[in-house]
Amino acid sequence: MASTSSLAAVPAAPAAERAAPRRMTDPRRASLPVLAVFLVPALAVYAGLTAYPAFRTIYDSFFTIEGMERVPVGLANYRELLGDETFWVAVRNTFVWAFVAPILDVATGLLLALALYAGVPFARFFRIAWFTPVLLSYVVVAILWMWLYNYDWGVVNVALRAVGLDGLTRSWLGDPNTALAAVIVTHAWKWAGFNMVVCLAAIHSLPSEVLEASELDNCGWGAKLVHIIVPMLRPTLLNLYVLAFIGKMKVFDLVWIMTGGGPLWATETVSTYVYKRAFNWNTFDLGYPSAIAAVWFGVVCAAVLLLNRVFKSKERLEY
Amino acid sequence: MTKRLAGAVLGLAFAAAGSAGAAEPSQITMWSNWPDEPAKRDWVSARVKDFEAANKQCTVKLSFIPKADIYTQAKSAVRTGQAPDIFYMEPDQPEFLAGGFLEPLDGHIDLAGLEDWAKPAWTSKGKVYGLPVEAYTVELYYNKDAVKKVGVDVPASFQLSQAGFLDLVKKGAAAGITPVSQGVGDRPFPGGLLLFESLLRKLGREDYGRLLSGELSYKDPRVASVMTWFRELVDAGAYPKSFATLKLGESHYYFYQKPGALTFPDPSWFTGRAFAPPESGGMPADFPLGIMQFPAMDEGACPTCKTLAVAGSFVMYSRGKNKDCAGALLKSMATVDNGTKWMEQVSLQTGLKSDPARIKSPREAYFGELNARNTNVSYFFGTPLFHYRAKCAETFTQVMNNAFPAGLISVGEAADKMDAACRKSS
Repeated sequence: MASTSSLAAVPAAPAAERAAPRRMTDPRRASLPVLAVFLVPALAVYAGLTAYPAFRTIYDSFFTIEGMERVPVGLANYRELLGDETFWVAVRNTFVWAFVAPILDVATGLLLALALYAGVPFARFFRIAWFTPVLLSYVVVAILWMWLYNYDWGVVNVALRAVGLDGLTRSWLGDPNTALAAVIVTHAWKWAGFNMVVCLAAIHSLPSEVLEASELDNCGWGAKLVHIIVPMLRPTLLNLYVLAFIGKMKVFDLVWIMTGGGPLWATETVSTYVYKRAFNWNTFDLGYPSAIAAVWFGVVCAAVLLLNRVFKSKERLEY
Repeated sequence: MTKRLAGAVLGLAFAAAGSAGAAEPSQITMWSNWPDEPAKRDWVSARVKDFEAANKQCTVKLSFIPKADIYTQAKSAVRTGQAPDIFYMEPDQPEFLAGGFLEPLDGHIDLAGLEDWAKPAWTSKGKVYGLPVEAYTVELYYNKDAVKKVGVDVPASFQLSQAGFLDLVKKGAAAGITPVSQGVGDRPFPGGLLLFESLLRKLGREDYGRLLSGELSYKDPRVASVMTWFRELVDAGAYPKSFATLKLGESHYYFYQKPGALTFPDPSWFTGRAFAPPESGGMPADFPLGIMQFPAMDEGACPTCKTLAVAGSFVMYSRGKNKDCAGALLKSMATVDNGTKWMEQVSLQTGLKSDPARIKSPREAYFGELNARNTNVSYFFGTPLFHYRAKCAETFTQVMNNAFPAGLISVGEAADKMDAACRKSS
């Protein structure tokens, strides 16, 4: 009773005030100065190299910046963007990249992982060989595939001619109908190894009792794959899809080296268009490219939130 | 006494330090293009060495950087005040001048050392902003033996007619020899060379200028007729199948080594690559090189017209901290002697004045032919990309440089796209 009354006599302290002394007295908790020592460098780097440039880009999008002169233009850059035909072509191409290409990436990675899991001959060699492209730079990959796609002596056309399909040979990167697909295939080739490794790790972590039970039930390899392995890998595959989606919304290097956005803007992406407007447009104006970048920043964030929401109802996503 | 001595020693020390400081040479930075063109690189290096030898108070930190990288880096550097004192620039990058980042050279160099025709490329509001080292004309190189082999005789005027050139293309294609070596894999202009030189000869200088300034439509009947003829060339197989991805250097090799081609439209800076040793991708010594005029158009207003342009130039950064040294270096470069050396070593025209009588070059035969093709011609100044800007330039690159010569779009579509992007009234 006495303890009750004494408790009642003590005024309820705010949560923060109660937490502070606890942190000070808890030997497992770091003190504020120690926390600051660890946090401030990282926060400073983040603020200086990520947050500030991002906010500055959004701020700049409301100006026309010629040389050292800044003229406020309000929403004029955004209005111009609405009527910019090339921008919308770039948006369409980037969405094709972002939504379609990850399917190819993840499917290829899964197939390679299954091949290794199934114990193909020379599995150890293939695991290294298939992963190697991940280690190559985009420049190397781009040049390599430009050779493969070469009309006269590229292996793709040479192979087609060898099997009598001369009619199918073409300038793969020079034809607007095939250029985007050709670059997407190159990108998928580069990243297949990464997806393979993640899928392989996920397959090996599947509960063995479920797989063994299916084998006891005389479940064939195909049925096991469709009804057990793939459904159980679903969270991993969705994670890979979302990661690939985010990466492809920003795709630049490969396109820039292989096609420069051509032919006829068939491979133009938002990133290559921003670069062109900022550096190849005979102007120093960073206002308009900043507006494109700001809009695209919002689109990427919204798309990721949307994908999270769509997948979250059934699967927990981890990045 | 001791104090006085100490004071004297201290004074001497300060004086010595002062004089040492005064003798400290100022270092300027200079970015040049042409890392992969030995003759031009050697010419620039020699000018810098000569300058340093004659001006002990100045040293030069010289870097050779690919052109595209210079432009990208300079765009960031000029804003932050960190651009080099002198850097490479071409007149098709007018934003540097418009942004106030270039120093007028009038007070630094002797303008009498520059060719009068070259000055306008860098003149703005009466002042000259660039040292026009590299100049060129657009030429049509050809393989004399191969052209003869397919049954075409180049006339004494060295200029085929419109129909004659189409015949050459058809005969080359029938013989399995690519008629025109050209590729746009890494450049925004080569695909437009043949078409726009033909348009110049059809329209004449004045109307061609109006076309490039957006005052004349691409639907003008004269323009349409040239574009229709050009499309015939394309459909007849004028260009390599790998046109879209073939790079400039590769198109050189394609012309004079493998697989070989009949003609090669190229600016006269052709020599930079062609005169390299064959083992480095240069032209074989016994290659039967000829230069013909671009074809004369039917009812063309100016069959003798030709494009002349200024390319590689050096400019001074307006906020540079060592303008005296930078200006002195450019001044030392702008001489008749150096212009003559450029012609000798690089085998290419220059905007610096030169003395042709003193040029001693193992390529005299080439120079003779180049001079002959440039006798009694009317020059039009500047390529399309010198005149086009922003969206219009980008459309030129995508449409006239690439899609149209690749046969991807029709004459009407190409004209529509160019008018939409470049026409002033549209």
